[in-house]
Amino acid sequence: MNDQHNTLVADFIVERLELGVFAVDAQFNIVLWNRFMHTHSGKSAQSLKGSNLFTTFPELPESWLKRKIESVFALGNYAFTSWEQRAYLFRFKHNRPITGGVEAMLQNCTFLPLKDEKGKVEFVVITLQDCTDNALIQQRLAEAITISDEERRKQQELIVKLEDAKNQLFQSEKLASIGQLAAGVAHEINNPIGFVNSNLGTLERNVTDLMKLMAVFESKEAELPEAAQQELRKIKKDIDFEYVKEDLADLINESKEGLGHVRRIVADLKDFSRVDQSGWQIADLEKCIDTTLNVVSNEIRYKATVVKEYGHPPLVECVPGQINQVLMNLVVNASQAFPERGQITLRTGEEGMYVWIEVQDDGVGIPPENLQRIFEPFFTTKPVGTGTGLGLSVCYNIVRKHEGELTVRSEVGKGSCFRILLPIFHGKMGESEELEAALSVPQ
Amino acid sequence: MIKGLNEDQTAALQELANIGMGQAGNSLARIWKEFVHLSIPRIAMVDASRLPDLILGFVGDTAVSASRQAFHGGFRGEVLVVVTAKDRNGLAQLMGFEGQLDAAEREEVLLDIVNILGGACVGGIAQQVSAEIGFSAPSLIGEDLDPLDVINPEQLAIDTALSLEVCFQVENRSLTAHLVILLPNNEVGALADLLDQFLCTL
Repeated sequence: MNDQHNTLVADFIVERLELGVFAVDAQFNIVLWNRFMHTHSGKSAQSLKGSNLFTTFPELPESWLKRKIESVFALGNYAFTSWEQRAYLFRFKHNRPITGGVEAMLQNCTFLPLKDEKGKVEFVVITLQDCTDNALIQQRLAEAITISDEERRKQQELIVKLEDAKNQLFQSEKLASIGQLAAGVAHEINNPIGFVNSNLGTLERNVTDLMKLMAVFESKEAELPEAAQQELRKIKKDIDFEYVKEDLADLINESKEGLGHVRRIVADLKDFSRVDQSGWQIADLEKCIDTTLNVVSNEIRYKATVVKEYGHPPLVECVPGQINQVLMNLVVNASQAFPERGQITLRTGEEGMYVWIEVQDDGVGIPPENLQRIFEPFFTTKPVGTGTGLGLSVCYNIVRKHEGELTVRSEVGKGSCFRILLPIFHGKMGESEELEAALSVPQ
Repeated sequence: MIKGLNEDQTAALQELANIGMGQAGNSLARIWKEFVHLSIPRIAMVDASRLPDLILGFVGDTAVSASRQAFHGGFRGEVLVVVTAKDRNGLAQLMGFEGQLDAAEREEVLLDIVNILGGACVGGIAQQVSAEIGFSAPSLIGEDLDPLDVINPEQLAIDTALSLEVCFQVENRSLTAHLVILLPNNEVGALADLLDQFLCTL
């Protein structure tokens, strides 16, 4: 091919290739505008030649594009734009008039410096490649990847929740069987306690009688012959009779006290698990608190001092076993809020048709970002494996089933206060007369 | 001395790099109409495994964004630019971006930065040794990265590279950008030939 052929081929390529090609001089005047640009812009090379790029196309991002072209003039290097960051340079119609899926032709552009013999950049040639089809495929691929990533993430979350739920189920089954066991043991212990208690009563009476008899004996001792008196004195001394006499009464009293203690524990255990009486009842919430405190006393004894500020509210219609569970959770949680030792204050009071209980601690407090989430199931700040994250959510549900409210206010470093608000009357207990009668019982 | 280059070649490369950066600074000052200061380029042969430390060494322990661009012709390699978010926003203004940058524009700025800075520096050196250098389209490495994560040595195609690092400063606007030109060690021969040709013309 000779030079003339070469020029012909070059012209042909510029004109007919499916690629936008145009060129500007240092003043941004258009010096070249190929067929592709003509077809898509609707403006012919003839009409554009010599006119200013930015006057002709005021929609172009002038400040950025000017700098870009200037840098190609100054540095003599290529520059680029990609549809991924800048969808297009010129807003051209896309090549999918029927199939659609995109708002305009997506373009990759290359800015090329056209240099003279001395290496000075004379023109900047800009090519525009239509990437719409590739871009669409890539976008769909990216969307598919995002969706599948999202699904995988959700599955992962579900697996974790499932695992938690399994642990919780295991935990609650364990608790339920411990509860049943405790109730069973309590029942079994009640029988022997009954007869030991009654025997102890008889024993006390018998000892008192014997002592009366001994007193008479002692008053008549001087009337006995000297030899017999001596023998009696010796035995009395050997068995330390004076001490035995005093100690007998103490022994019996202490045994009665110990037995009373055992009976209280058993009663609390039965009260707490309510195996013998479940369902809606008229209950004294302050008694509920006392029972709960007795049950958890071991858990909190070394961590907190308990202060009671009772306002003696009226009796409330509730499921005491469930309210006990709420109280136990709140009290145990409060006892875990102290870095060392702290104070838990339990308050009660009446507010219109409601009774409230507050469990307040002066512990570490709850950060605001956690405060909105603490009633969510599975939310826990305890180390993995320690808390199920269900305690407070169960409390919340119990109080809601009572048509009440469980709220919290907390300040980091100062402590937290949980407030249970319960309606006094539900009408769930059946006969309303019976209920009114129960409610009118004086405190 | 750099492994693969003799003493004359090493000295010539350092000298040419100094002159090249001077020209790059002039070109950038013309485009941006701001005085641009470039540090004296530090040239060294670096093990691939040491590249993350190299980057941490010049940007410090701060979140960075990075982009890369390949060049080819008389010698081949890649340019890396590492900037902080603040510097990226400042450079965006210089490059004619207006208003708040959206996510796509933030990426485009990074691509434009590597294109301009890389073009100026590699072009500056290529011009000294009369080599024709072309550039591929730049691409993004990532945003808000730990400096140690800009380059993953395990994914590199090379064991050692000739690195040439420069720090840009636009003093009036307190902007800084870091640039590294990396030549794979098997390209050092091509560079040595070009340096010899240059030395012959003296």
